[in-house]
Amino acid sequence: MKLFKKVLIANRSEIAVRIIRACKELGIKTVSVYSEADKDSLHVRLADESVCIGPAPSSQSYLNIPALLSSAEITDSDAIHPGYGFLSENFHFAEACTTSGITFIGPTPENIRIGGDKAKARQTMKRKGVPVVSGSDGPVPNEEVAMKIAKKMGFPIVLKASAGGGGHGMKIVKEEKDLEQAFFMAQREALTAFANSEIYLEEYIPEMRHIEVQIMADNKGNTIHLSERDCSIQRRHQKLLEESPSPLLTTEKFRKRIGELGVKAAKALKYRNIGTVEFIVDSKGNIYFIEVNTRVQVEHPVTEAVTGIDIIKEQIKLAAGFPLELRQNQIRPYGHAIECRINAEDPERFVPCPGKITFLALPGGPGVRVDTAIYQGYVIPSQYDSLIAKLIVHGKDRTEAIAKMKCALDGFIIEGIHTTIPFHKKVLNHPDFISGNFNTNFVEKMRTGAQENK
Amino acid sequence: MELEDLKELIELLKDTDITELQVEKDGTKVKIKREKMLTSLDMPGHKPAMHMEKAAASEADEETQRLVTVTSPIVGTFFRSPTPETNPFIEIGARVAKGQVLCIVEAMKLMNEIESEIDGVVMKILVDNGQPVEYGEPLFLLEPV
Repeated sequence: MKLFKKVLIANRSEIAVRIIRACKELGIKTVSVYSEADKDSLHVRLADESVCIGPAPSSQSYLNIPALLSSAEITDSDAIHPGYGFLSENFHFAEACTTSGITFIGPTPENIRIGGDKAKARQTMKRKGVPVVSGSDGPVPNEEVAMKIAKKMGFPIVLKASAGGGGHGMKIVKEEKDLEQAFFMAQREALTAFANSEIYLEEYIPEMRHIEVQIMADNKGNTIHLSERDCSIQRRHQKLLEESPSPLLTTEKFRKRIGELGVKAAKALKYRNIGTVEFIVDSKGNIYFIEVNTRVQVEHPVTEAVTGIDIIKEQIKLAAGFPLELRQNQIRPYGHAIECRINAEDPERFVPCPGKITFLALPGGPGVRVDTAIYQGYVIPSQYDSLIAKLIVHGKDRTEAIAKMKCALDGFIIEGIHTTIPFHKKVLNHPDFISGNFNTNFVEKMRTGAQENK
Repeated sequence: MELEDLKELIELLKDTDITELQVEKDGTKVKIKREKMLTSLDMPGHKPAMHMEKAAASEADEETQRLVTVTSPIVGTFFRSPTPETNPFIEIGARVAKGQVLCIVEAMKLMNEIESEIDGVVMKILVDNGQPVEYGEPLFLLEPV
């Protein structure tokens, strides 16, 4: 088994830097790609070679499959790492890589295809005995069928887009009379966002925790989990802060159960390489499968902190065909880790705020990690998402982790643009967060509470 | 001291860590000083391998004011002829019409014909046959007529 000689990173910003680092540590040459707007990016400077693939718009650059494959061809790259977002969950891209003789660093095209079809993924889980939220068996063809199922289950229900994510095409329906309109709106939103109007239906769980399990599998199907992450601190279905272990799962038995369900779900899909199985946990502690994310995730450093495992390096080795050397009993998470996603956004209204970073000072010290591609003098382009840095801390327990994060946020100085650092400070000081007593309504409650006090 | 000499000196400075240069020639004294940028990270002036091969392209800077640069619209490999056995599409000095094929950029086994946007004369060919090119890479300099 041999590692790749050269990997092309089909992404930008902090994740491209992350992947370049992992490749370099493994002795693999790196190729970065960039749009004209990213000419001065850190990921371009750090890679061994770089190729300009198009103008600023993502559709003509980072989503441009011919340009990416051509770049791999002219640089003689033997593998492509898609990062997260962009083409990382694009079944056509994964297949095109394979057809071109380039290894796609990620799961199989079939894993991606089923991961991207949430209604189908749910059905598969049901069949294989992984608990799912009660709801429709696959997609709902029309509003009448939706009504029949909803009436049988009882309201409130939630309509979700099969091809979807990030809350698009998602509608909570509290009463029967609202269903018809919600159904058509959900279809329209799904069509606009994902070019696919397929909708499925689930029971609505009002007070839920979003808890996900990191899984890892080799080509023979040996599958392990690397414990869970709690991602309940979200705004409009966008994660803002993640931690491990989940403050909700207070018993070893509970943690073991969710980890095992993650592995069961992965095996049900014959999953390869790395991925994350998402669950929701209701107020009674019931665990339900929601979906599988067939890529490396933004918040992977949280798991790296508590397990001591370099997930990207493992991912690259697995993609090169190496067997999984880690055994489940070797995965022994320790301490507590928290990640804050720092966005170039107004901390009150979350409106993106690109611009030039006139001053930058990074926090540090034991158990403090910053994953970023920004530098002093960098101009944040307006055409891409607003995540500019991830701040991860690791302490011996949750109390120490919270103290460390507060200190690190104070020491993270970014001038010239607005960032969500002040928002994170509010979260870290909030009694519900500190007590671990929160669910996915936390951010909304915190902000409405703040407005009432004004 | 001629403008050309000054330009050459400035170019010289660019590729080094020199921040101040004083030159005396033919009774003229020139001092060129460069502001050092403060950065919180030490950034080496790293030139990735892909760009090493294209240092020649920067000489086009002065001429591009009057000449039109034809750039590659895609990533691929530059070829001067339709096939290895046939003659190049154009040579230096060739008169081309708008829409005329100048070269091929091959990407994923597909031969993409690159056409001229203007009527003109080919003044310079900036890349070598078989050279990999990226999006926006200057390929030719044309003098418009």
